[in-house]
Amino acid sequence: MDIIVCVKRVPDTNEADIQISGNFINTKGLPFDVNEWDKYAVEEAVRLKEKYGGTVTAITIGDSESDDALRRAFATGADAAVRVSDDIFNGSDAVASAKILAGAISDIKHDLVLFGAQASDDGYGATGQAAAAILGLPYASLVIKLEADNGKIRATRELEAGMNEVVELPLPALLTIQSGINEPRYISIMGIRKASSKEIKVLSAGEISVNTAEIGNNSGTKTEKLFLPPVLKQTEFLTGSVDEIAVKLAQILKDKGGTF
Amino acid sequence: MIQAKELTEKLEMFACMQCGKCSAGCPESGKSGLNIRRIIRELTVSPLCELKQTDPLWDCTSCSACTLRCPRGLQPHELIIGLRGALIETGEIPVTARDSLEAVFKHGNPWGRAKQKREEWTEGLAIKNLSDSQAEILYYVCCAAAYDPRVQNVARSLAGIFNESGSDFGILGIEESCCGSETRRMGEAGLFEMIVEDNMKLFNSRGVKHIVATSPHCFDALKNKYNAEAITVQHYTQYVAGLLDGGKLSLTKNLDKIVAYHDPCYLGKQNDIYDEPREILKAIPGINYLEFDRRREKSLCCEGGGGRMWLEGTNTGERLAETRVKDAAEMGVDIIATACPFCLLTLEDAVKITGFEEKILIKDISELIVEAL
Ligand code: SF4
Ligand code: SF4
Repeated sequence: MDIIVCVKRVPDTNEADIQISGNFINTKGLPFDVNEWDKYAVEEAVRLKEKYGGTVTAITIGDSESDDALRRAFATGADAAVRVSDDIFNGSDAVASAKILAGAISDIKHDLVLFGAQASDDGYGATGQAAAAILGLPYASLVIKLEADNGKIRATRELEAGMNEVVELPLPALLTIQSGINEPRYISIMGIRKASSKEIKVLSAGEISVNTAEIGNNSGTKTEKLFLPPVLKQTEFLTGSVDEIAVKLAQILKDKGGTF
Repeated sequence: MIQAKELTEKLEMFACMQCGKCSAGCPESGKSGLNIRRIIRELTVSPLCELKQTDPLWDCTSCSACTLRCPRGLQPHELIIGLRGALIETGEIPVTARDSLEAVFKHGNPWGRAKQKREEWTEGLAIKNLSDSQAEILYYVCCAAAYDPRVQNVARSLAGIFNESGSDFGILGIEESCCGSETRRMGEAGLFEMIVEDNMKLFNSRGVKHIVATSPHCFDALKNKYNAEAITVQHYTQYVAGLLDGGKLSLTKNLDKIVAYHDPCYLGKQNDIYDEPREILKAIPGINYLEFDRRREKSLCCEGGGGRMWLEGTNTGERLAETRVKDAAEMGVDIIATACPFCLLTLEDAVKITGFEEKILIKDISELIVEAL
């Protein structure tokens, strides 16, 4: 089974003092990492390869700093990596990103395409689905379990209220992977170093099948405003003896309509 | 499959005579699946080992009692580190260990806290930062002392002691990064190498000649694993004992308490520092100083080392820190004093679990000094 997995390098904003300039977050000084959901997708791709044979190709959009995400995919067990990179891509929304990725994917032989269910930075949760539509592939989202069977793939999807759904898709297909589908292996520094000698194929807009009039600043959506929501003061420290605290807490829960 | 041939040869494990002194002194023997003597035996018989049952490898606290006791001068604890290293390269390690290592790589501390918050503990204190000032001593804070609310008080106490004694010291502030001690002990040799390189670059750019460390773990790594011959590295108990000796610090207030000292493994067993902490405690007026039965070379491990702060272990028996607290209770001790952030945290948990919270206090020596100033 030949698998393509799309990955994204994202900033970690945990505990960070977010600085916004215009419609962008100033990412200087923020630590970067591979998008959490993509780590599960890469791990799943490699596990499928280990089980059923075939190849894994990792694809990302971005400048050379995104090579880190691809090297980690190599260290996990990917066989090839492609980075699509062009200034014209800047400003792409989720659908435009899907168009770019679909352009790169369509030129590579594939039975299965995996995306992380969402990215922790923009959080649209739409790129995978949009890519499936563009590529004309059947797709399933929020996949938490996967089995291949005779040219078909059986995927368990996570629904609301703790329900699961099992769907069967003919191959080729596209799936978006939910976190928790596996335990991604640890990628050692030695592993990354070894992977740094592997070739990353870099493609520009002209080298993939994409209509440049529909991507980057020509995306369907435009960011109008980026801002931090006002902080609402809702934290209260209760003091006193355990009994007093319990009484105060009970009162607050009652007042705020808590369950009683 | 793990190929351990190179490792067993490098560590000369074939010299092992299977006397069992290592496993007999190992704090994890009997209470977990770890049997260091058996591991050595199995690997010397068949170096290409399945190591399928690898979980016990993560029980090791890296206390090095085994190494201290071995009559052949072998280093069994380093064998565990090497085997963990082989597991690390396969990627299959306990999830909590994985997360702490990734956090060290990404954030420079094993808890994944933001770098920008690293000097929060200094709030309200005037402390030099080596990025814009010079100082004779670099006070190396430690991730635990920088971020953990309980251990932050140790950093604040030490800063107070340094100020009181007129010591010329500074910190690296948000530029300080994990020392890598536990990274190395968890077997991530590549990451440790990278940490050493980055830290040495920083130390050199800040003209560091003398480091005083909060934690025995940082102290041990910086002193023994950094190849930094030009830098004097001290644990704070060594430095403070010197201040007391030199008359730079006088402890005047009475501390009318029964105190016993818990030897941290990385300070005592691994670096032979047993006396300075005791000298300091005995210099505090009014203290009734008691010794644990299991002390110095035989000190009971708190199980916080070797990455165990981020590893549950297969651990079925009672936690050793709880045993320690119960021993102290029997002795009628008011305060267990220690000199290590990890010991402080594990013992404090144990005091709560055993229900002695109202009776026994866990204190870092630095905190007791401040009380006596
Ligand atoms: S103490 Fe040393 S010689 Fe004895 S069994 Fe352990 S490693 Fe072997
Ligand atoms: S270092 Fe300590 S816990 Fe680990 S094997 Fe040796 S004695 Fe046991």
